[in-house]
Amino acid sequence: MQEQVRPRVEERPARAPTGEAPEIPGRGPTDWWGGWRWGFVSLLIIAGVAVAIRIYQGIFTFPWGLDSSTWQFFWLWRMLVVVELAAVGVFTVLWWGWLLRSGRDLPERISHREEVRRIAVFWSLVGAVSLNIYFEASFFPNQDGAFHQTLVRDTAFTVSHIPMFYLFFPLGITLAVGTYLYGRTRLPAVYGAWKGFPWSFFLLIAATVTEMMQVAMNEWGHSINFANAGAEEFFSVWFHWPFVLYGWLAGGIFALWGETILRLTQIEDDIVKEEAEVPSPEAAPV
Amino acid sequence: MAQAAIDVRAGELRQLVNRKYRFIDRKWDFMFWFTAAFVVAAAADITRLLFAGDWDFWTDWKDRQWWMTITPFATIIIPSALQYIQWRAWRMPTGATYTATCLFVAAWIGRTFQWHFFVNYPMNFIWPATWIPAGILIDFLLLETRSFIITSVIGAGIWTIAFWASNYIMLAPFLQPTTFIGHTLTVADVQGITYIRAQTPEYLRVIERGSLRTFLQEPQYVALAFGTTVAVGGYWIGQFIGRYLSVWPIGRFLKQI
Repeated sequence: MQEQVRPRVEERPARAPTGEAPEIPGRGPTDWWGGWRWGFVSLLIIAGVAVAIRIYQGIFTFPWGLDSSTWQFFWLWRMLVVVELAAVGVFTVLWWGWLLRSGRDLPERISHREEVRRIAVFWSLVGAVSLNIYFEASFFPNQDGAFHQTLVRDTAFTVSHIPMFYLFFPLGITLAVGTYLYGRTRLPAVYGAWKGFPWSFFLLIAATVTEMMQVAMNEWGHSINFANAGAEEFFSVWFHWPFVLYGWLAGGIFALWGETILRLTQIEDDIVKEEAEVPSPEAAPV
Repeated sequence: MAQAAIDVRAGELRQLVNRKYRFIDRKWDFMFWFTAAFVVAAAADITRLLFAGDWDFWTDWKDRQWWMTITPFATIIIPSALQYIQWRAWRMPTGATYTATCLFVAAWIGRTFQWHFFVNYPMNFIWPATWIPAGILIDFLLLETRSFIITSVIGAGIWTIAFWASNYIMLAPFLQPTTFIGHTLTVADVQGITYIRAQTPEYLRVIERGSLRTFLQEPQYVALAFGTTVAVGGYWIGQFIGRYLSVWPIGRFLKQI
């Protein structure tokens, strides 16, 4: 049998460079349907998922979301946890894998135009992280307070916990780490590996990871009745406070905008310098 | 000579303001303010919900003892952080107003779609308090004083009092006395009895405890004063978030993790 040996990296045929965005009118690096396209698509996808789940809850909470011992609860709600975690897991593997694999083949030097387009895509991803944080820290927590102060819970997998803790919380980790991988592979001038690990992403990713870990403490706290808190529902109970403290770490997201704005102004300064150096009537290549 | 130096500097700044960019346009401004609104609203809302949420959820919990003590502390934190970020980056005195507006929208979306449509509490029982007037005032204070220290001390007082005054207008109708099963209660109390919160029993109802009535009408002023002092602490927590979690990390890297 002929042995299949994977050629070493340096022996593999060079892939065609991924190239830059083609110059189509209306699809430029800072056009709404050009570099900013993912800003709308990603926000619409995340909002669409949240609305769909909210409609699902509106239909199936009363009466099948109240008694966790019923078979209807098992199929409508516990299975939803499995579906959510599997979907996030599959998306994570596919997206991170694509970012890393395709990132290896990108050309080392890119034009200013392409770099600006990538910064616009980067901002779109940061916007997606921001919207995800809204759903995980405002929209569904409001529902959590409403649901749990109204009804007796008999499981950790309640109707309001299922989208919040088992969809948007893990999705936050996926989006934050994925945005870092995009920055590391596509914006080497800002987040190249040679610079180290950015504090901005360290804080943002730490926020999403510690929020996920805090779910365990939250469920432990709700299972006990210590100092009149736990089994009864008091939203300002002490074991909810780490959610807030970890959430403050997401303030690192502002540093992402700051770092890329500084790079944008640097690109503009470079363009001015290059145009000053080029003596010909044509503008310096951008 | 001094005037000439001033004129030169003014010319440089004017050039900077009127500079034409190849790729930087107003779309970047729009995308920043629009996408930042989500995370700002989320941060402000989760801080309010989990530190002071119970007192904001219900009209009968908007009392004279706890509501005006805990809520100003919880709600000044994120506006303070945004004040630092926006003042430091653009000298814009809009951080608290921007945060209060984002929080207003997020709170109303949450109350309407979750508390009202999902579990059917009436909106006049679960309406959220507003911080927009208070935010405008402390932003104005920062503009005039240009000092975070003065804004923290005087601004915390303005924040607390403006919060109470602006929301008292909406709360006053629910503080009217009525009789219910032979007892004199407020309209808010009757709402609290009628719209059952099955998993929040009466002994968890942390409102107006202790010998409040012997102080006649003074407890709200005592609570306002204490709320002010606690809000000063909240303001500096927000400054920590703005300075060390949002601005300090810009351009800084860990060499190994």
